[in-house]
Amino acid sequence: MEPYDPKIVCFSCNFGWGYLSGEEALGAVISNWIPVICTGKIDTRHILKAFKAGADGVLILGCPEGHCHFQDGNYQTRKKAYLIRKVLGAFGIEPERLDMELAIDPEGKKIPQLLARMKRRLAELGPVKITGDVR
Amino acid sequence: MTEKPKIAIYGLGACAGCDQTVVDLNEILLQLAETVDIVLWPLAMDFKLSRIQAMQDGEVALSILSGAVINSDHHEMAALLRRKSRIVLAMGTCACFGGVPGLANFCGREEMFNQVYRDAPTVTNPDGVRPQPETDVGGRKLTLPEFSGHVFTLDQVIDTDYYLPGCPPPPALIGNAITAVLAGDLPPKGSSLAPRKALCDTCPRNSRKPGRMDIRYFRRIHEVDADPDECFLAAGIVCLGPATRSGCGEACIRINVPCRGCFGPVPGGVGSAPKFLSTLTSLLTVERDDEIEEAIDSLPDPAGYLYRFCQPSSILGRKSLREEEAEA
Repeated sequence: MEPYDPKIVCFSCNFGWGYLSGEEALGAVISNWIPVICTGKIDTRHILKAFKAGADGVLILGCPEGHCHFQDGNYQTRKKAYLIRKVLGAFGIEPERLDMELAIDPEGKKIPQLLARMKRRLAELGPVKITGDVR
Repeated sequence: MTEKPKIAIYGLGACAGCDQTVVDLNEILLQLAETVDIVLWPLAMDFKLSRIQAMQDGEVALSILSGAVINSDHHEMAALLRRKSRIVLAMGTCACFGGVPGLANFCGREEMFNQVYRDAPTVTNPDGVRPQPETDVGGRKLTLPEFSGHVFTLDQVIDTDYYLPGCPPPPALIGNAITAVLAGDLPPKGSSLAPRKALCDTCPRNSRKPGRMDIRYFRRIHEVDADPDECFLAAGIVCLGPATRSGCGEACIRINVPCRGCFGPVPGGVGSAPKFLSTLTSLLTVERDDEIEEAIDSLPDPAGYLYRFCQPSSILGRKSLREEEAEA
């Protein structure tokens, strides 16, 4: 049996993360990476669909407080993420599978490190098991 | 004389509230009885299953099915009526989205059975008796329908032509739906036979809605003396109006109870829960992490609130027994 390799979907804000490296260069080394114009643009459905499609974790990388290019998209998503975590728990998905980091990393060097750190945590949790599956 | 169109009305995993709303058609029902032949309606008349089984495939013009699909009997009846009917209408929130019974999917089969047959405070069951699909009694075999292990919406089990949400749908919408089917005046397959606007658009309190909400914590309707004219959300009372389809006649709003979302999502959305979740958090004006947590923690059981009527049709809760649906 192959060792368990957790899959992470990573959304990151274009204004704070990796904009100096370019999407193609970073996309080549980061799988399931979705750069967005602002973390406020991430819909709740995108996060839920990622888990439904088989993601073991979702990582959101936003700008620090006060640095949002669009006033407060990071703040809006921070509130949303807290409530989504509680909802995920009801479906049997551990809340820590949704993580959010607010910082600035123009070259995006930290992204693979953050993903590796999250992978280690997810490996301890094992694959997602959604409650109420058909026998 | 040409034969009258045949109609079947059947409740699957339902509380009979939807059937009762058909009764509430009152005089319209009498007119209807003149123009159609009701071949099946267990709530109101006797019927024999063998009579339905003996019908030609497609012989029934319209089957109106309410209730979620929960046990083996529901699966069989849904499949039988699909085969015999030209049009299947999912009536009521349980058939459309899973309804309140669908909340059972938040726990597994074992947890649910433990609660219902062992742990609930009203249960006395010292021998730990559980329902069995087959039981021998005096040499005879008694059978019960078997729980599916999951609560399904109707369209996850059979091909469904139209939807009429509501818990229950108002009689006027049911009357309109039946009339439209009989006249052949129907929207494209898969449509919901209810208005397309969100409830807030038709809510009488909308004119009192402030330009900008300022919610710092959530309150529940029983905790406050709510102003009968004020927007519930403006007062921090959770009301699902922004993400819920209208058509209910604002029945709850008019008796000073916030919308709980029984009409399901407005067109174009996969469930009302994610939309409403985003709406709700964007209305919170607290800033610090601890304030955000305190505000959101003031909403007990958020998943229960958000998915009260739609767990089985939600993004994470949905499962289909139909191949084409499962792949989608």
